Amino acid sequence: MEFFLQQFTNGLTVGAIYALIALGYTMVYGVMKLINFAHGELFTLGAFIGYALLVTFGITGRVGLGLGLAISVVLVAGLVGVAGHVLERVAYRPLRHSDRLAAVVSALGASIFLQNAIMLSWGANYRSYSADLLPSVSVSIFGQSFPLLKILIFLTAVVVMLALWLFVHRTRIGMAIRAAAIDQGAAKLMGIDVSSVIAVVFVIGPALGGIAGLIVGLCYGQINFGMGQLYGLKAFTAAIIGGIGNIQGAMVGGLLLGLVEALGAAYISVAWKDALTFVVLIMILVVRPTGLLPERVAEKL
Amino acid sequence: MLELRDVVVAYGGVKALHGVSLTVNEGELVTVLGANGAGKSTSLMAISGLLPLSGGSIWFRGERLDTLKSHEVVRRGITQAPEGRRVFGPMSVEENLRLGAFTRKGFPHRALKRVYELFPRLEERRGQMAGTLSGGEQQMLAIGRALMAEPKLMLLDEPSLGLAPLLVRSIFKTIRSINQSGVTVILVEQNARAALRLASRGYVLDVGRLVLEDSSANLLDNPQVKDAYLGSA
Repeated sequence: MEFFLQQFTNGLTVGAIYALIALGYTMVYGVMKLINFAHGELFTLGAFIGYALLVTFGITGRVGLGLGLAISVVLVAGLVGVAGHVLERVAYRPLRHSDRLAAVVSALGASIFLQNAIMLSWGANYRSYSADLLPSVSVSIFGQSFPLLKILIFLTAVVVMLALWLFVHRTRIGMAIRAAAIDQGAAKLMGIDVSSVIAVVFVIGPALGGIAGLIVGLCYGQINFGMGQLYGLKAFTAAIIGGIGNIQGAMVGGLLLGLVEALGAAYISVAWKDALTFVVLIMILVVRPTGLLPERVAEKL
Repeated sequence: MLELRDVVVAYGGVKALHGVSLTVNEGELVTVLGANGAGKSTSLMAISGLLPLSGGSIWFRGERLDTLKSHEVVRRGITQAPEGRRVFGPMSVEENLRLGAFTRKGFPHRALKRVYELFPRLEERRGQMAGTLSGGEQQMLAIGRALMAEPKLMLLDEPSLGLAPLLVRSIFKTIRSINQSGVTVILVEQNARAALRLASRGYVLDVGRLVLEDSSANLLDNPQVKDAYLGSA
């Protein structure tokens, strides 16, 4: 039982990370019908900006643990958000009216560019967040002990996702984002500036991905310029599982994928961990190609 | 109030409008008739700023319109209930209406009240997903949504399409009352007879060219129009 709970917690933690990244894929896809292949690299950028702040600059030593972490989260989200905005301006906006394929190629190019830029800035070797950055405290719930860090990470991710849900469903801009995702032309007829909606989405998505990068650094220690590839692919899978374009779907898909991976690694085989992810993807694509929570666009003529 | 001067619109290399000129005066209800592919919807989309012009210009109250972005056009007071209604299916009726008032500041109490008065049916279904409404209700929603911004000029693209005759009559009655309340209306229709009874003037488009323009009474009597658009009456 203890082993199961441990793996379950691991699954939730990694699932929350996948969900945070998946939100970026799914929001951009929802509005632009484009897979932002550079999203995984924005996640990596978040991990490295976090590294610069926490390890190189040692912010927690200067201003204290709580405040240092809070500043790091805000700065990482802000800077990666800016990077996402620049990416949209440079790589996607000029191609808005071109062939869909042109944007895909541009996305792949941006991904390679960012990966190499990160490698040139921080080197090709693994970097590690120092192990003593966070105190390793455990809390005990129902007689089982859980690492506080993982619980905090899970809660942070849940809070961020809740905030996003409220933003999308309860604010004016959120309403515009949803409308543009359903029908861009009709949204324009309502007086919505779709270009600004896309710009907003390209700040929020990358910001969430950046936070996920910081969390991975804090949680697993090791980061590398190529880490965005596998995380990106997994999160993309999570977005598909949940139904791409659907925000709740990305959250559910991410958590589900994390649990499958952690429990699969524990009870089936660690070596098959990554393969399991894609087995789930293939199964979902065969049985429910639109994902678990597809965008329900009930059209009636 | 609105003037199209030699407007040319092309999709890729294919011209959909070959230099269309028309004028709409303040307070008028003008209809634009024509067969499928005549360029009626293209004209409306060009006015709304969703299609770029390849030639000519569009003017609204002395200001050039075709260089503005679509959201700026809405801010000038021009809204559209597009062909096929294009309601936001997965959103509620009231959310659809609130989106119609997107360019307005604050919660649109007054506009919402007015739309619910015009279409009590929409108030009954305010919480329902727009995609689950019947065709007629979706059309009411599309028109109501276009009213929410309290426009000066409203563009209606085939509001009668696919509706039962009784419903068409009621929708047309509503369009008349909207016009009488001071909103200028351009009504694009295939249902020429009904549209001409409602409008004071009409234009006839054929394959991207303006072929006729006259008062509704004259157009109803015009043998060419009778043959092509009114059936043998």
